[in-house]
Amino acid sequence: MPVKVLAFAGSPRRQGNSETLLDWVLEEMRREPDVEVEKVVLVDANVNPCRGCNACETLNRCVQRDGMDYLHDRIIDADVIILASPIYCMGICSQAKALIDRFQVFRSRKYVLKLPIVPPERKGKRLGIFLSTAGQNWDYVFDGAIPSVKCFFHVIEVKDKDIHYLMVNGVDEKGAILDHPTAQHDAERLAREVIAGIKARLAG
Amino acid sequence: MVSVLGISGSPHRHGNTETLLDAFLEGSKNAGASVEKVVLKEIDYVPCRGCNACHKTGECIVQDDAPPLFDRIFSVDCIAVASPIYSMGITAELKGLIDRAQYIWARKFVLKTLYFTNEHIRNHKGIFISTAGLSWDNVFDAAFPAITAFFNTLGFEYYDNIIANNMDLYNGIRGHPAALKEAFEKGQQVIRVIEDLKERSGRH
Repeated sequence: MPVKVLAFAGSPRRQGNSETLLDWVLEEMRREPDVEVEKVVLVDANVNPCRGCNACETLNRCVQRDGMDYLHDRIIDADVIILASPIYCMGICSQAKALIDRFQVFRSRKYVLKLPIVPPERKGKRLGIFLSTAGQNWDYVFDGAIPSVKCFFHVIEVKDKDIHYLMVNGVDEKGAILDHPTAQHDAERLAREVIAGIKARLAG
Repeated sequence: MVSVLGISGSPHRHGNTETLLDAFLEGSKNAGASVEKVVLKEIDYVPCRGCNACHKTGECIVQDDAPPLFDRIFSVDCIAVASPIYSMGITAELKGLIDRAQYIWARKFVLKTLYFTNEHIRNHKGIFISTAGLSWDNVFDAAFPAITAFFNTLGFEYYDNIIANNMDLYNGIRGHPAALKEAFEKGQQVIRVIEDLKERSGRH
């Protein structure tokens, strides 16, 4: 069975810095044998924000019919889930936040209905990656994003210690990341590490 | 007369957060302020596209309900920005509006056509109102950076928080022992503070 990678490009700006960072990771992953990569561009994915109706706490599914219908099973089936988002106004962009909030259906399944998210044999065999870029150079510029990212991964059975982060600050204008001294190298190394890591888990 | 604009960022009408906002606005009205409320889910705007066109023009190219809302924000003395905590952050609706303030930010920091004096900032108060289901003390922490950025961009002093966690335990805001009373009183107090500041500014 190939390793399944599902990646979300959260930025509304196509081919900008966070999507470039994601593409570096995905290109490197595609070079590895037995890896299937699917990239979802959120602005084209028709994922509406959560309505806060809490119906999923009883229905075990969302009442909204949109792009999440397509994504739901893929999120469960993936071995590696990647979220990429730029930092806007000290937080993830609203498109990425909408996706995170729609994971409420998994949160309800896990914590309210106490049903499994993945079959027992796949528990502990999922890895997550959060990729982010920010225009500001402040080292705390990612702090507001991380707690929501952790929620995103926890509710789909990716443990805290299994979330990998690559966050690059000081890249603002489109293409700025191309001039970054280490970003591409770091992205490619991370891709190899995560693929090696998930293959070891799946074999074990 | 002091004017207050409440901005409700919850997709859930008349839920815990909007009820807490309403208590604040009632207090302000009781203290003699003119009060208005905007419910974000009832108006029509899209999230920021990250196109950065505003960095050249100082205007947003997206013509929807967001720029007129920013005009309204600039016409009042106090804004009360309300959002529940979803997945450890503010809602996608509120983040969508905050990200749209980029053109104001561009006027200040890129084009340098907009400047708020310290006196202006002191006389304009921003209040963050929020509720969360979880009991964790840190449940609001990831919301603060984006709210801080929003108030800074708009020239409002980040004056206070009215926040209540543990809604799941209290069975909603009406079951909370102190929150609604606190919101009403803070709504009264901030009006007196602004009146006093305006009077002092007028004397110079």
